[in-house]
Amino acid sequence: MKQYFKNLESGLSAAIQNGQSSPRKLYALEIARLGARLYSGVDMVSWCGIYAPFEILNAMGVTSCFVEFIGAMVASTGTVGPMIEETDHIGYSSDACSYHRAVTGAAIKGLMPVPAFLVGSTSPCTGGVAVIENLAAHFKKPLYLLQIPQDFTENNIRYLASQFRDMAAFIKKSTGVVLDNAALTTSVKNSNRARELLLEIYRLAASRPSPVSSKDLANFGIVLSLLFGTEEAVRLAESYRDEFSRRVQAGKSGVPKEKIRLLWIQNRIQFKHPIETMLADEYGAAIVCDELNDVTWDPIDPDDPYEGIARRCLSIPFNGTIENRVKHLQKLAKDYAIDGAINPCNWGCRQGTGARGLIEEGLKKVGVPVLNLEVDCVDSRKFTEGQFRTRIEAFMEMLDQRPSPWSQG
Amino acid sequence: MYYLGIDIGSLSCDAVLIDRDEQVRATSVVPTGARNREAIARVTDDVIRSSGITRKEIRATVSTGYGRDRVEDRASAVTEITCHARGIKAVIPETRVLIDIGGQDSKAILLDQNGKVVDFAMNDKCAAGTGRFLEAMARALQVDIDEMSRLDAGAAGTQTISSMCTVFAESEVVSLIAEGAPVKEIVHGLNRAIASRTLSFVKRIAQNLTGIPISMSGGVARNTGVVRALNAALGCTVSVPQLPDTVGALGAALIARERDALGNRA
Amino acid sequence: MQQDKEYVGFACAYTPLALIHAAGFIPYRVLPMGDFPDRAGLVLHDNLCPHVKRILDRAMDNNLPALRGMVFMNSCDSMRRLYDAWQRERPDIESAIIDLPMTMDDPAVHFFSSELERLAGILKSWDGETVSEDKLAASMAQYDRIGRSFARLRKDAGNGTLGMGAGALQGLYNQASMQAPEDTIELLEKNTASPPPGAAGMGGVPVFIFGNILPNPEAFDLFESCGARVVGDDLCTGSRLFTELSSSPGDDITSRYAGALLRRRPCARTMDVRNPGSFAAGIIEQAKNSGALGVIGHTAKFCDPYIARIPHLRQKLREAGLPFIMLEGDCTLRSIGQQRTRIEAFIEMLR
Repeated sequence: MKQYFKNLESGLSAAIQNGQSSPRKLYALEIARLGARLYSGVDMVSWCGIYAPFEILNAMGVTSCFVEFIGAMVASTGTVGPMIEETDHIGYSSDACSYHRAVTGAAIKGLMPVPAFLVGSTSPCTGGVAVIENLAAHFKKPLYLLQIPQDFTENNIRYLASQFRDMAAFIKKSTGVVLDNAALTTSVKNSNRARELLLEIYRLAASRPSPVSSKDLANFGIVLSLLFGTEEAVRLAESYRDEFSRRVQAGKSGVPKEKIRLLWIQNRIQFKHPIETMLADEYGAAIVCDELNDVTWDPIDPDDPYEGIARRCLSIPFNGTIENRVKHLQKLAKDYAIDGAINPCNWGCRQGTGARGLIEEGLKKVGVPVLNLEVDCVDSRKFTEGQFRTRIEAFMEMLDQRPSPWSQG
Repeated sequence: MYYLGIDIGSLSCDAVLIDRDEQVRATSVVPTGARNREAIARVTDDVIRSSGITRKEIRATVSTGYGRDRVEDRASAVTEITCHARGIKAVIPETRVLIDIGGQDSKAILLDQNGKVVDFAMNDKCAAGTGRFLEAMARALQVDIDEMSRLDAGAAGTQTISSMCTVFAESEVVSLIAEGAPVKEIVHGLNRAIASRTLSFVKRIAQNLTGIPISMSGGVARNTGVVRALNAALGCTVSVPQLPDTVGALGAALIARERDALGNRA
Repeated sequence: MQQDKEYVGFACAYTPLALIHAAGFIPYRVLPMGDFPDRAGLVLHDNLCPHVKRILDRAMDNNLPALRGMVFMNSCDSMRRLYDAWQRERPDIESAIIDLPMTMDDPAVHFFSSELERLAGILKSWDGETVSEDKLAASMAQYDRIGRSFARLRKDAGNGTLGMGAGALQGLYNQASMQAPEDTIELLEKNTASPPPGAAGMGGVPVFIFGNILPNPEAFDLFESCGARVVGDDLCTGSRLFTELSSSPGDDITSRYAGALLRRRPCARTMDVRNPGSFAAGIIEQAKNSGALGVIGHTAKFCDPYIARIPHLRQKLREAGLPFIMLEGDCTLRSIGQQRTRIEAFIEMLR
């Protein structure tokens, strides 16, 4: 793994220096750098839940990462099979999420760096917390658990903010690393700057035609959150903003002859697969929006960062009831003038796909049909192209024949 | 004085008749079919006829297999896990891990030095990796099930069957045929898929397999291709008894004999 | 039965029954039992907790008593989805979801206490009574009394002197979860006062059962018919729901109640952050104390909190020398019946 990330980093750096730069290459480079730090054996590492406050962790100089990142990495590199088989051997049910099984398998195989501590979060999913607890037991390292309340209320915001303060104290106690207030202020300012750029990026992405090709922003929002607080996040976001601005000004669409605009629900499929290319080449269909690519929070007050970060956490529509998520999806559908949505229904994800029916109904209400693909987004061994091709083709043929739900009024 | 063991599986119904010295006097294997009572009567008649004894000379019958409660004149019903363990102990005494792949179940059974069951793992409800799975694949390949067991010879291992769900694997096989993949490669891929699935059961009951004698029973043990794939996956040679189908029925007969000797209600 | 009071439904063993009762309602557990069309998968997803799906099926089939409201606990992803779907399918029955922390530390207890206060307000808005300190204390005492009566029955089961089968005991748990505590106290004290002679199931192999949802008395009858004697359980629909609460420190009764509820024997979702992985030790300790020769795990399928903890528990049970079998069901009798061979083989192995 260490060597893999190093090679990736040097390969991408060389390509970028040779003038072959693109936002997506810079994005890949940041992933490679994060991977290299995680596996350096030198940096202090923390395995986290998805809602961990990365501004604070980055300000403390801890290389932090949610564990699902590793699941996605082994899927994208095609090495997921042996990891998941490892969990079969210990009787980890195949009904579980493959992100989590892959991470567990990697830990058993000794392919996960030993963290200094772990920070779990009760949102977005129950399975994820359980895996963090298992890893804490496996590595015998201290664990802090963030309880994310469901509703956006002042009482809940205060409770979560106080946990962030406790977490910093816990890290100090576990590792001796102290949170420097000036560093936190800088981190929050960087995060707010990245937020502004994200707003611009998503506004540009919603243009007609969209400057986004289907792969440009895959996994973007969630991975960028790992870099919140850093200058790298700002630079990466600037590069996307600039590129999309250029494309919009030139009237250039991400997918040539854009005909169909798609919304991708939840996470992308992480291993190599032909769906995105097939959508673009055969149907002129572009995934112009991902559910996880949005800014739902206000700028964080640098004088009260804990509360501001808590407000952000509770603003994320994956929190709370499904009503939040459905309303958010409806808003995205309208903002981006979406023709149809694809829900990959990741196998084993109770949080993401448990509400399949309610999501489908909610989007139908605003005239957006949903294609539910029953797919495992991580375990490539379960993927057979033929099975999905027929469904996708039928869905695209249907979309092709109906007017955009947003064309009138 | 004789003891009868009957194993009513989903695909085949097997009977083994032993004498008081635990020597096998007759065996019979017939397809279970739709009516298991008829199959039970047939195998019983078979072993009586071929051993030349009378029905009255059978002192006790123990039944096993999923239809074990359908044998009317049984002294008791014992699960196939216990019976296969007892049976393999008689034919391959050194066995410590027994893999039993039958028509609708596949199991791994861990035995102690005395042949007693210490732990076991079974497949879920679905037929993945079982005899039924192989039957469906043979159908998709349009080959005889016995023929299929030899068809992997000389395969280079170029095909992987990723799906273990019978329905999806069948469509995967169909599309491989359509793509013109050689049959031997497809069969080889299927065998490896079964082996990998079985390996996960085995690992669940025995983490370290070094030097552990492993045997295999059940109808699928006659499929030499699957056994070869298992050997590769487990990194050792799996012992297969001469009559792998009848290990369960033999175990049942031996249990009938033991319980009689102990003076228990057999 | 207390005719004048209305029912408030619940579906999780962490539900504050005493609080609901103190607000003038009868807590009624909506059990995933009965025969109704399978429709929940369309509203939610097929690969979702069958406990949740069966409850939703029941609600969609109108197979419920008159409920004034329904209280959900934010215990896991599946429960959240049930709350979501409930609002769509049964808007006529008001519902609330209460946050349930995953840890037992003081800030978590404090937060849970504020959630209980919020629930008291919601119950009031459902035409309930104001929950006073005295009323809550009285209701807690009643549920503790029930917990003690059940503890006696469980002890008898462990000693092999229970005058009924494990299925009948489960029937009592079910009944107790659907009626007023006053009625349960009367029922149980009659039952424990004069145990019928000639204990049932005495000869079986002692086993300990843990898991989540297993309310069907038929399942316990099946265990016994396979030669097992259930000498202890750790189930959401069994002992975990009816156990006397330990006292917990706190300035007021609500925070003491919150602490006691959170700190009682945990289901797999609740953890002790200072001691990750301690779930396994808890099960092993209980199993050993019960005198069981083997441990049966039985969970409703797709339960992520259990799924993730089973491998570690399996390893720890092996180290402790306790044979273990893991079963999964879908909250139907059919799925329980399909386990017969495994259970029988397990008991044959233990003999």
